[in-house]
This record gives sequence, structure tokens and C-alpha cells, in this order.
Amino acid sequence: MKARFWKTCSLGFLGVVLLLGYGGVILAETTAADVEQALQALSLSQGEKILEAFKIGFVQGHLLPEETLRLVTRLTAAEGSPAEKEAILLTLASALMDEFPGKTLVDKTLEGLSRGVPLPQIGQQVSIRARLLVEVRDLLYSKGLFVATEGQAASSFLPPERFDLLVIHIADALGEYLEGGGSPLDGYILKEAVHLRLSKLKGVVIPVEDVELVFARIGPADLTRVVLDVLD
Amino acid sequence: MRGDNLEEALKDVLRHDVSVEAPHLEGLEERIVAELEGRLPKRGFVETLKQLCAPTRGARLGQLAVIGATAVVFLLVGTFLVGRAPFLGGGPNRTATMSAAAESGNAVLFLMPAPGAQSVTVVGNFNDWEPTPLSDDDGDGIWTASIPLSPGRYEYAFVVDGRWWGQDPLADEYVRSFGDYSSVRYVGRAGEGA
Repeated sequence: MKARFWKTCSLGFLGVVLLLGYGGVILAETTAADVEQALQALSLSQGEKILEAFKIGFVQGHLLPEETLRLVTRLTAAEGSPAEKEAILLTLASALMDEFPGKTLVDKTLEGLSRGVPLPQIGQQVSIRARLLVEVRDLLYSKGLFVATEGQAASSFLPPERFDLLVIHIADALGEYLEGGGSPLDGYILKEAVHLRLSKLKGVVIPVEDVELVFARIGPADLTRVVLDVLD
Repeated sequence: MRGDNLEEALKDVLRHDVSVEAPHLEGLEERIVAELEGRLPKRGFVETLKQLCAPTRGARLGQLAVIGATAVVFLLVGTFLVGRAPFLGGGPNRTATMSAAAESGNAVLFLMPAPGAQSVTVVGNFNDWEPTPLSDDDGDGIWTASIPLSPGRYEYAFVVDGRWWGQDPLADEYVRSFGDYSSVRYVGRAGEGA
């Protein structure tokens, strides 16, 4: 009996090791090296610059290697010239170098690719979204809303992730308004678009006090200026 | 949670195997020894352990070592998988949102009436705009999928037989994107049956 028992144990052990080994392989985490390898397939002229920005994004938590790899893989498979693909990646890289989260830009690109939109059109939209991020961040700064560094506890100094959420959603609301054909000069409707977005996320994704700060400090004229600067 | 299910499933398999094999194996060695020696061994649990650990029984020590190594491997690899596997709520990856949502129980129903359709999928920013299939098991033309999502705002569209359909009647709002419509759902708002 024991011989059979131990034989069964040994086979079971071997099976478990093989199973877990296989599981380990399929669950292997994507690394910057994987992204680098995928980028090489695109034959980019500024591949090193893009990779460097991606690595910064990975370290800062503004981009995940997994989603980056998917983006690069799908860009590689997409119809279009290497220059068109590189333009999109450079926009993303630039945003990451400016310490913006890359998620919304990646999403926009993936959506365009899934819809079969030509790369120049995707690049244009991604570029507008990236510029909106910059302008909205500058607007928040100009209204006295800042990213808190260690030890700063005033209500207008927000933790980085909360500040980023405001930037992302205000910029996204403005971007959708523009993409839907809205006039950049209609400040009140711009304000409504931003208020609607933040109100629906208030207390669920964005802290109530952060939304109230935006409502109190940012008006229609501010948003019009942001949009005009982006389209300029 | 899924780790627990996996453990339970493994236990069930082991219980089943033991229940099938046990009647044939129970006391087999003892019966053979008794046949050979003309008596039945009567050993207690402690005595059995002592014998297994006896230094003179090198082979048994080796067997114990195998058991120990197996346990250590299970512990280490189990810890590794729980820490990294997306479906066990581990490290960051494309399904992190869904994993987190599964924990908070926000299963969102996507429903698309499409009688006669061959395939219906949903694409959105929760699945990197890659198709997640809807099913119509009862053939009534109502295609559904329940997708766990964490609180937030999600853009999506249905794809019916390859054609995009961005105006879901159940959506909270619509947006124009790349010249077409996308639907939007807000998940986790107060009073929402997520």
C-alpha cells in the first residue's frame, strides 16, 4: 500500500509542480523589457525617448506596463505609417513626462483603433485630450488648487491622485464637449458639462469637497479660455 | 474569494478520489503483513508517527521530506499567485478594475435586444475596447452579460454582428466619439442597483 501511496504522492507532486509552473508562466507580469521589445517592432525614430517616458509612467503609477504593451501591440497591428503610430506614442510620452496619468489617452487610442478610425484622426483627438490635460492643470493652479507635498494639509492642496482625478475628468468632459461639436465660446454650456460630470462622480469617485472646490472657483469664462487655448 | 473556491474544488476532488480508493486500500498492507506474520499490527497514531520519524528509517525520513517540500512549495507558490494573479485580486493589470468590482459586488448588467443576431459583444473602456461576448441562452433575442465593474464612469458600445451600436437605451448618457455615439454608465452612484 505504501509503495502505491508514495507513487501517487510523487506523481501528484510532479503534477502540481508542472501545473503551478504553467500558471506562473501565463501569469507572468509584463515588464518594461516586454514593452521595449514590442516598441522595437514599430521601428521608431524616437523609440528611446518614448520608452524612457513610459518607464517614468510605470514608476509614477501613471501607466501600467500591461496596458502599454496592449497599446503598442495593437498599434503595431493597425494600418498606418510608422510615423503616424509614433506621433500617437510621442503624445502619450509627452504627457507622461509632464506627470499626467496616461490612462485616458491610452483609452482614447484603443477606442479609435477598435472603431477602425484612421491613425491621423486618432492622433488628432489624442493630441487635443493631452493639451486639455495641460490647460486644465494650469487652470487649477491658477485657481489656487495644488498638488499637496508632504506636510501640506490645507483644503486647496490635494493629494496627487485626487488632483489627477479632477484634471482627468474636467479635461475629459471638455474633450467630449468639443468632440461632440460644441462651441468653445459657449462658456455656460462648458460649465454645465463639467458640473454634470463632477456631480455624477461626487462622493463616489471624487471626494465631495474636491468637487465643491471646483464649483466654487471655476466659472464659464475660465473654461472658455481653456478650450480656446487648446484649439489655438 | 476565488482562491477559496479553488481550494474547495481541490478538496472535493481529493475527497472523491479517497472515497473511491479507500475501500480497496484500507488496511491492505496490514492485511498482507498479518498474513505474513500471522498477526494483525495494532499501532496507535503516536506510535506510527514515531516510526515514521525513527532515524533508522531513512526511507521514511525521505518521504517526510517530500511531504514537507510539497507543503512549502504549496505555501510559497500559493502566496505568489494570490499576490499576483488578477483573478485572485492580485497585482495591477487590465482586470484590476473588474477584480476590485467583484469584491465590491458591482456586477453591471449589459442588455441588448438583437433578435436574429449571430453575435453580440460589448466593447468599452472597462475592457480596453476589446469585445466581451453577450449571450442569449434562451434564444429570445435579448442578449445579456453581467460584468463586474468598480465605481466610476464607463463608456461603451455594443457590436451586433460586427456593427457598432452606441446608443444603449439603458445608458445614463451618450457621447460623440470619433463621429459616432458611445453610451455611458455611471457605476456606484447612490441608489443605483449596481
